[in-house]
Amino acid sequence: MQHVANLTRTGIDPAALAAPRGESAIEVDNLSHVYAGAQGAVPALENISMSVRAGRFVVIVGPSGCGKTSLLMMLAGLRAQSRGTILCQGSPIPNPDPRRIGVIFQEASLYPWLSALDNIEFPLSLRGALRAERRQRAEAMLRLVGLEGFGARFPHELSGGMKQRVSIARGLVQDPPVLLMDEPFAALDEQTRMTMGHELLRIWSMTSKTVVFITHSLTEAVYLADEVLVMSARPGRIIDRIEVPLPRPRTYEMMATDVFGQLRDRIWQQIRKTP
Amino acid sequence: MSRAQIIFIRLALLALVLAAWEFLPRREIVNPLLLPPLGDVLSLLGNLLQRAQVHEAIGVTAAEVVVAFLIAVPLGAALGVLIAESEYLGAVFKPVLFYVFSIPKSIFLPLFILVFGISFAQKVAYAAFTTTFVVLISAATAVESVKQDYLLVARSYGATRAQILLRVYVPSMMPLLLEALRISMIFNFTGVMIAEMYASRTGIGHLIAGWGENFQMPELFAGVIVLATVAILFNEAVRFFEARCSTWRT
Amino acid sequence: MTLPAPAKVRRAMFIALLLLWELVPRTGLIPELFLPALSSTLAVLYQDWRIYAEALAVTLYEVAVAMVIACGGGIVAGAVVGGVARLRELLLPVFSSLYAVPIVILYPVFTAWFGVGPESKIAFAGIYAFFPVMLSTAAGIRTIDPQFILAARSMGATLTQQITRVIIPASLPAVFAGLRLGGALAIIGVVVSEMLTAAAGIGYLVTLNRTILDSPRVFAALLMILILSVAYYMLARAIESRMVVWQSAERSPKAVRGEVGVPISAAA
Repeated sequence: MQHVANLTRTGIDPAALAAPRGESAIEVDNLSHVYAGAQGAVPALENISMSVRAGRFVVIVGPSGCGKTSLLMMLAGLRAQSRGTILCQGSPIPNPDPRRIGVIFQEASLYPWLSALDNIEFPLSLRGALRAERRQRAEAMLRLVGLEGFGARFPHELSGGMKQRVSIARGLVQDPPVLLMDEPFAALDEQTRMTMGHELLRIWSMTSKTVVFITHSLTEAVYLADEVLVMSARPGRIIDRIEVPLPRPRTYEMMATDVFGQLRDRIWQQIRKTP
Repeated sequence: MSRAQIIFIRLALLALVLAAWEFLPRREIVNPLLLPPLGDVLSLLGNLLQRAQVHEAIGVTAAEVVVAFLIAVPLGAALGVLIAESEYLGAVFKPVLFYVFSIPKSIFLPLFILVFGISFAQKVAYAAFTTTFVVLISAATAVESVKQDYLLVARSYGATRAQILLRVYVPSMMPLLLEALRISMIFNFTGVMIAEMYASRTGIGHLIAGWGENFQMPELFAGVIVLATVAILFNEAVRFFEARCSTWRT
Repeated sequence: MTLPAPAKVRRAMFIALLLLWELVPRTGLIPELFLPALSSTLAVLYQDWRIYAEALAVTLYEVAVAMVIACGGGIVAGAVVGGVARLRELLLPVFSSLYAVPIVILYPVFTAWFGVGPESKIAFAGIYAFFPVMLSTAAGIRTIDPQFILAARSMGATLTQQITRVIIPASLPAVFAGLRLGGALAIIGVVVSEMLTAAAGIGYLVTLNRTILDSPRVFAALLMILILSVAYYMLARAIESRMVVWQSAERSPKAVRGEVGVPISAAA
């Protein structure tokens, strides 16, 4: 019922949605995954355990092929793990649940036959929400991501950064407490990446969501995260957990500080060690 | 699925089709007058391939196919390269090409007959005419497909025009060129067949049309099998070479 | 020297063509037997318009039914074979090999089976158009971004919703291309078969008048066919671009070839 109440709201009320600080949003316990490869079983993930408290911004960094995307798919309920449990707000995720978890992919995957606004509305229309409410909600999201006025544009008329913003708006439109993001800025050039990272933090600060963010970029990881989880190469394990003590709101200037550099370095050393 | 499995299933499907072709007419589930059993067709096929008349027809058709091809390929290639190289000509003619492809070129057959009469030249001219367009498009596509990057690199290393032509264009276009050849031959063959079936006194197409008119179904199917086999064999042969040449292509 | 705009050049060429068509036969450079003047052709068309209209009706009927077979069957078959990986691996190469066979050699079989009436034309044109439509649709289906489905699932779409809200809209460009292709090829198939063996239709008129050396009437029929095929192409393109707004309407020769590299165009 709270969900219905949310839909009729014109804006977002973080206080009503955020779980009390300290409560666990995501619990992963001893997760392992093996998949059937061409030459027999391939271990993809090994004994992954992590606990993400509500309202935190956690970043997962790791070399290519370490299984970070697979892990995210499992957190989203898009794929089933071989062993171990995943709990979101205390209950398991057998199927994708967009009211609990919003997913944002590397490719914006906006539907080219729908306008930006229609794309944002899409998840709501799947649930059969009423037109007026959908519109209101979608427009609020559009404003939130800074694209007010671009609602009627089609994806082929938008830049890469704008498409990702729409994708983020779409992920947020059902107000899930948890947001999973799989290298959303990887396809963008570096300058746009920096701007988008900043934007994302702004949006996050306004909505108090729990975010699990995957990236290749060490700079991005340190800049965005409360906590960085470093994964090893396949089979993926968590080899380090690094707290990022930098104050919020984060600024570009922080990137030039020694602390920033040391954190980056530490992550890099960890990744380098793994074969 | 492994390669072996794939090949096995395909052969099994083929066997199924052939078996149906044999049994359905024999058991008279399908009218054997309309679809003679495969066995009859094949034994007649052997007989046909020994007749002088058939040899002559094959010779004529083969000659037409080859000559038309030899005319169409250089002509079409030259025009295609021209259109691809010249931005202006390309802008003028490319939209036209799409219309051209929608038009049934067989409507020009009467024209060729009026000009050349019913003869070897008429059929060759018609087939060459239809094939030229296909070669043109394929050649233009092939030329345009050579990535600008490759050309830039070559030029920045001071390659001469001839070197660029030989060492960048040709290897880069080879798979497309082979494919163009393959596709053009399909169209060429079709063109010759249509011309022979429409108005001709010689050639396999003429024979087949005759057999059809006289309801000589076993002969007709025998002819179809031979032609289909030849067409497919040629196609696969070129495809084989194509695959060899294009291992580097994405 | 600046060259004139391409569109103007085309228009000029078209007008020049019409002029040549009128003047060259009149001056006797080419005998009227080979190329009747445009005016004679149009005169005959006007005079015998009833005959031509009737023939056109027969042809259009055959084209329509052939289109239903070829597009209906071809699009569905292409979607299935192209979409299901196993089938695609197994069958697609087989079909594109079969494409190498000139289908026209089967036409006598159809006339023997179905007679000289519309049935044989429909059967022939239906099969003639079927393969390219199937191959083109199969290729088009593959261009659908698999991420679309993943995104839909993450948004909680049911299987039905995935099909109706994602797969179908995403396949529209391929479907429309298939329809355009199918119609063009159906027209070609019908015309060829009518020219070969028929008792009615525009192609039949071509052959009939050719054998009695009535060139103006032959050319009148040719003109009708030309207009029909060009009109269809323009109509199909217009509908396609209206419906499929987001498609990059980059009309390069590549588009004629299709993704599998098979030039999906007319042989006849």
